[in-house]
Amino acid sequence: MNPAMLSLELAVIGLALAVLLIDLWTLHEFKHRLGYLAAAGLLVILVASLCCASTGEPPATGFSGMFVQDGLALFFKRIFLAAGVLVVLMGVEFRDRIPMGLGEFFTIILMELAGMMFAASANDFVMVYVAMEMMSVSFYILISFQRSRSYSLEAGVKYLILSALSAGLLVFGIALIFGTSGRTNFAVVAAEGTRLAQNKLFCLGALLVLLGLAFKISAVPMQMWAPDVYQGAPTPVTAFLAIGSKAAGFVLVLRVLFVAAPALALHWGKLFTWAAALTILYGNLCAIPQRSLKRLLGYSSIANAGYILLGVAALNPPGSVAVLYYLAGYAFTLAVIFIVLCLVARDSDDIAVLAGLNRRSPLLALALTLGMISLAGIPPLAGFFGKLLLFKAVLEQAAVHRSYLWLALVAIAGVVISYYYYFGVIRAVYWSEEGPEMTPIAVSAPLKVSMGVCIAAMFYLGLCPDAVLSAAAKAVQALRF
Amino acid sequence: MHEPLHWLILFLPLLAAMVITLFLQRYPRCSAALSVGAVLASFLLSVGVLAEFLDGRAPDIALTWLQVGSLQIQFGLHFDALSALMLLVVTGVGSVIHIYSVGYMRGDPHYARFFAEMSLFTFSMLGIVVSNNFFQMFVFWELVGLSSYLLIGFWYQRPSAADAAKKAFLTNRLGDVGFLIGIVLAWAVTGTLSFAGMKDQLLRDPTLFNTTATVVGLLIFCGAVGKSAQFPLHVWLPDAMEGPTPVSALIHAATMVAAGVYMLCRVFFIFTHHDLLVIAWIGGITALLSALIAVQQDDIKRILAYSTLSQLGYMVMAVGFSAPPAAMFHLTTHAFFKALLFLGAGSVIHALSQEQNIWQMGRLRSKMPLTYWTFLAGTLALCGLWPLSGAFSKDAILAAAWEHNKALFALGELVAFLTTFYMFRLFFVVFLGKPKSDLVGHAHESPRIMTYPLVFLAAASVVGGFMGITQFITPQFSPASARLPIFAPLEPFETSPVAALLGLAAIAIGFVAAYVYYAGAESDPLPGKMKEVCNVLRHKFYFDEFYAGLVDVCQDKPARAINLCDIGLKLLVRLTHGTAEWTGRVLRLVQTGNLQTYTLLLAAGAALVLYFMLTR
Repeated sequence: MNPAMLSLELAVIGLALAVLLIDLWTLHEFKHRLGYLAAAGLLVILVASLCCASTGEPPATGFSGMFVQDGLALFFKRIFLAAGVLVVLMGVEFRDRIPMGLGEFFTIILMELAGMMFAASANDFVMVYVAMEMMSVSFYILISFQRSRSYSLEAGVKYLILSALSAGLLVFGIALIFGTSGRTNFAVVAAEGTRLAQNKLFCLGALLVLLGLAFKISAVPMQMWAPDVYQGAPTPVTAFLAIGSKAAGFVLVLRVLFVAAPALALHWGKLFTWAAALTILYGNLCAIPQRSLKRLLGYSSIANAGYILLGVAALNPPGSVAVLYYLAGYAFTLAVIFIVLCLVARDSDDIAVLAGLNRRSPLLALALTLGMISLAGIPPLAGFFGKLLLFKAVLEQAAVHRSYLWLALVAIAGVVISYYYYFGVIRAVYWSEEGPEMTPIAVSAPLKVSMGVCIAAMFYLGLCPDAVLSAAAKAVQALRF
Repeated sequence: MHEPLHWLILFLPLLAAMVITLFLQRYPRCSAALSVGAVLASFLLSVGVLAEFLDGRAPDIALTWLQVGSLQIQFGLHFDALSALMLLVVTGVGSVIHIYSVGYMRGDPHYARFFAEMSLFTFSMLGIVVSNNFFQMFVFWELVGLSSYLLIGFWYQRPSAADAAKKAFLTNRLGDVGFLIGIVLAWAVTGTLSFAGMKDQLLRDPTLFNTTATVVGLLIFCGAVGKSAQFPLHVWLPDAMEGPTPVSALIHAATMVAAGVYMLCRVFFIFTHHDLLVIAWIGGITALLSALIAVQQDDIKRILAYSTLSQLGYMVMAVGFSAPPAAMFHLTTHAFFKALLFLGAGSVIHALSQEQNIWQMGRLRSKMPLTYWTFLAGTLALCGLWPLSGAFSKDAILAAAWEHNKALFALGELVAFLTTFYMFRLFFVVFLGKPKSDLVGHAHESPRIMTYPLVFLAAASVVGGFMGITQFITPQFSPASARLPIFAPLEPFETSPVAALLGLAAIAIGFVAAYVYYAGAESDPLPGKMKEVCNVLRHKFYFDEFYAGLVDVCQDKPARAINLCDIGLKLLVRLTHGTAEWTGRVLRLVQTGNLQTYTLLLAAGAALVLYFMLTR
């Protein structure tokens, strides 16, 4: 095997270790510079992955086929790296709210990132489990990093227990698959797919694996944790959960479904149709009465998981392309929103803290507004085009089966409901009674640049989708339908 | 002159408006200087155009603006006697009023915006004047409507000003709809929008419009009815006095309201004799109605506004008598003396801290001598006392009436009597008699930047009859006519002695009546004598009430009925919204925050999925 295949992951892990070591010789007041170091390092790796690393053509496998480096993996790794840069920069902004261990905070974020990157390359059920645990364990620590805040600890405990439960389902599923097929490698399992599809135990195993993954993407019925954990976790960690963890969950769902078990996927359209519809409705309906912004985003994250499931439920290549495209736009949209929350929602994340934001900082008000508009799916921003692709993919399937038409209608109803709370946020920014706190908000230069990049990316994805679209189309060639 | 200079006439004011709006909002002095400079430069260039025209070298410039299929729309600068005269009126009187505004508007917090809007108006008005086709004219026609809206509502903080601006805009829209349909019909028949092209076709084939001829003419006349505030769309002009006084002088006396008359003269070839009869009667009715209303108004600017309506009625009537030169002549002299009267009224209002009720004034003669003398000149010119300018232009119209229609001639003479009566009522009450409020004690003459324009306009009002305006414009409409002598002070008495002498008699009677009732009057004696009549006049023949009722019946009542359906729809929307919201609130209860509940629900959900997927 070619060790260069692992270069991105190794670089990230190396960077994590370097940050951990340099932390030992860094004075407390300079610790935040470790964040800049980590961000700069990740940026270099991201640029390297865009320019130098292999294109994933042809797909290379290693570790007896456990690890695969193909277009799909690279597409997601780039999203993770970009999200990593933004999250680390948010972490720097957040430093005054992390009493101790700032260096470790960055290190664990980097390790978490490495876990996500391994997930993107997973080609074996064992690899799936390892990558999932690498992510989960990191998140246990990150979510409860503000040890003095009971919210943070409560969220950490909830995540730990529920995640452990779902990991139990996952590993039980893997055991059943191994028991029925004798193999854990995706390619090998897929080769015997038609025979195994008749086996109820194998189906049970596959379902349990999917349920385990559904926890990561916070889809019904494994969605309960999201609002509580999103609310309690430190804001940069919430951002990483929403962007990275969800994307990692989806890449695993795509791989399990369309690489390991394409034969089963054909019969499970109904499962995903129901899951998508219920997730959309649950997320959007529960978000209506929310006043806590991070909780609101938790429900919004559930609703968005539902939208993305539309692409999975379509069971066709355009659907998967739409999933990839939507996740790319979603990453930048959420990043910009969480950067604003990092700066604005310091003591409380009640929607009232947004009062008068347009006077306190027009830039933040604009960024938040654009973010919300993109989430609501209004042209010309990224969210609109992503939703358009998803809906198109579902409507293409409507010709095959009528239930897809209903699914599209439910999704549209969900979008309409979501306008209410997304625009509620915009209204709070511009039209609410002025709050007691009206001092201008200082925004550091790196965050300004980050927001600029995110906004530019939102417009770019919404207006000139061709480049990313063709990259996504190439990436899904790794899947079989 | 080079061609670019001709374009500058039109575009200098636009440039000024843009520069002021974009860059000079905080520099009132600069913006005033720029705006005045632009209109003065346009005036000088217009004089250049006049010189060229007299030499017979006036260019006809036209660019292709739009090309849609076979329809070609030009953007042109058309110079003939008509447009040259109108250019001079607009830029000349406009310059004087711009200069006056520098003093009148001093201290207004939105000084720069005022000049930007005045410049925008000048641009729009000049655009109408130089148009060589209907399309361009309509575009500028609407621009004029817009700038008029902006200027009437200049003090938009006052609800009355905002309402007046809306009323003016909407009333104008009514006329413009007819105008637009007329233009489209004319284009559909002739296939061209250019005036020259249409005229050529009509000359070649007078029956071109066939049965639609009268309709097309009347529809186009609708535009003039709106813009020149003719009956029955006259209601907006008096309310438009809510704007600053220089605006009233420039837009609602001298230029914009004259645009309708100008347009009628410009497209005179299109009207049939049926159209002309309607036009004459509409003009006559407007003249009479508004002169009657003016008799019982108390607001100095409203009296002048109704007087403007009445004079516009004269002009429209003249067009109806196939006498566009007389109409244009009266338009020009009227621009001089009515601008003068408005600016004089502005000077009075300025001196009396914005008081506009004439019954709060009195004996301003000694306090404001310059305003007094110039106002007297304007009044006499408006009444048509020979040898002031008004006498010549009004007699030209009355002479045409004598030839065409004896009934309208009598009506015209009656209006002449009323004009003298209400103008001297105003004059006696404001400038003579006893002071009627304490304000008069504090009054003082206005600054020179305001009185010089008065003197200039007074001079123009006095000698306007000898400038040779008719002689200049007549050849365009009747090329065959004999060349008239330029200086002919006794001309009215020679061509139509009946009209001229009866006119003088009307003035004399009007003056005596005004003297009897109002010299030294403390309050209006007329309501005591003719209560019912005065009541009707004070309520302006109940036009506003009638229209309000009409709108109520035709629009508000049906709207309320349709609103019932809307309430039903709203209920439906509320129901949907309520369902979503309450489902959300109930679902939220599931999210207790209790870890045991979550675990239970998670496990139950997983079990349900497995049950449904594996047992079916």
